Amino acid sequence: MGRVGIVGVGHSKFGKRNDASLRELAFEAYGAALDDADMDSSNIDSSVICSATHYDKQRSPAGVVAEYLGLNPQPTFNVEAACASSAVGLRTAWALVSSRLHDVMTVVGVQKMTELSSEEIQELMGRAGDVMWESPFGTTMPAYYAMYATAHMARFGTTEEQMALVPVKNRKYGSKNPNAMFQKPITAEEVLKSRPVASPLKLFDCCANADGAACLIIANAEKARKLTDRPVWVAGLGLASSPMSLAGRKGPMTSFEVTKNAAMSAYQMARVSPNDIDVAEVHDSFSITEILNYEDLRFAKPGGGTRLLEKGETELGGKIPVNIDGGLISKGHPVGATGASQLFALTKQLRGEAGSTQVDGAKIGLAQNIGGIGMYSAVTILKA
Amino acid sequence: MGFEKFGRFGYVSQTKINPLLSYLEKGQIAATRCKKCGRTYFPPRAECLDDRQSAIEWVVLDGKGSLITFTKVFFAPPAFQPETPYLLGLAELSNGFRVFAPVSPSVDEKQLKPGKELNLKVARGSRDNLFYWLE
Repeated sequence: MGRVGIVGVGHSKFGKRNDASLRELAFEAYGAALDDADMDSSNIDSSVICSATHYDKQRSPAGVVAEYLGLNPQPTFNVEAACASSAVGLRTAWALVSSRLHDVMTVVGVQKMTELSSEEIQELMGRAGDVMWESPFGTTMPAYYAMYATAHMARFGTTEEQMALVPVKNRKYGSKNPNAMFQKPITAEEVLKSRPVASPLKLFDCCANADGAACLIIANAEKARKLTDRPVWVAGLGLASSPMSLAGRKGPMTSFEVTKNAAMSAYQMARVSPNDIDVAEVHDSFSITEILNYEDLRFAKPGGGTRLLEKGETELGGKIPVNIDGGLISKGHPVGATGASQLFALTKQLRGEAGSTQVDGAKIGLAQNIGGIGMYSAVTILKA
Repeated sequence: MGFEKFGRFGYVSQTKINPLLSYLEKGQIAATRCKKCGRTYFPPRAECLDDRQSAIEWVVLDGKGSLITFTKVFFAPPAFQPETPYLLGLAELSNGFRVFAPVSPSVDEKQLKPGKELNLKVARGSRDNLFYWLE
């Protein structure tokens, strides 16, 4: 099994993009990735289009996206794993390149969400849980994560003030990211005073629906070295699943087993430990999620996530800077694009191209991407 | 009316575990049990994971439970907006099963915390819909 390298990355502006359709967003990221890799479409053997297709007006969007990107007649297909779609897309493409079925592939994460009416969005949100046993009681995405927050607060004494440190940190870095939906810092007081969504989570504890795309171009080792003198290597891929129903999960609901399992696979495959990670992107769909992720990825002990935040260890200059591109909380969360957006940020860091948020000498990066209400979690480790 | 009668607003109408509704009608909450190996399932399922060829039978649960976690929902999907805000809980029943259910408005919210003893009881909605909640 040969190594697989990332040779090009691209990112559209995220946010309420009422100026662009799904295919056009995809092209913004794909075109930028081609420019970044200094290549054209003739080099691409196959494409994987990653989106949570229930948000799209277009059915089977890989068809129209591949056409618009000029990627016919090469193979194309859609990969869906809710919010983890493009991390799973990379895993899929990695396997196709490792097997030598293809040499160079593109992974395009794209989502158009703001075109739906808020009524449509709310209806979709209501079916994010198990539709037979949980959605009939009025579940929402924030409600599920809020239940983890309640349990974490009861067990470890975590407070809403501590949780507010996550959006404060991430929005600070979001202000330095021109692709982010929100580029204005926020105060803890603003977070704590924002309106309740699902207790204890308030509006500014939550990421926002957005439109956007992010793209990766990957190649086998031989091609990667020919195409670029600065490949970033895919060193570890972890993916796990968990029961979709909350009632089907075990334990005290203060951690995600699914992330612990995915992390174990990724650390093993990359032969690294949590201490080796120089920079990380974790799934901050909600403030509490980032805190649980620190613990599940073993950056902190169970219950120790808030301490890491308070000591500034996940800030730029800290022991392990996390989400210093702003995270989902600043960038917005165009579901299918988020995983690729995290890998875009890591690739820039590992090449030393992250500008004002560059982590000095970053060699190993980790991205963690949760799907839906925690039924999937992907952990990807990249090395310079 | 099929299984969409289950819940405050049901999405799924066709299933093999429709008999649950007859138990709820009688004020009972029921699980399914494999006739061969005795493995019991709640929420009920129609096939045993271990003995796929065997039949299942229904058993009534006592509903005693303890709260694991909860939330109060302020921003709800369209069908649930008239009842907003409302409480949702996850509880562990005395026989080890976990259940996701609304918390009845009769429960004093200030008393609500993980570990609180609650009972799973049958509830009836205004559209003749049936469900269970923690009270």
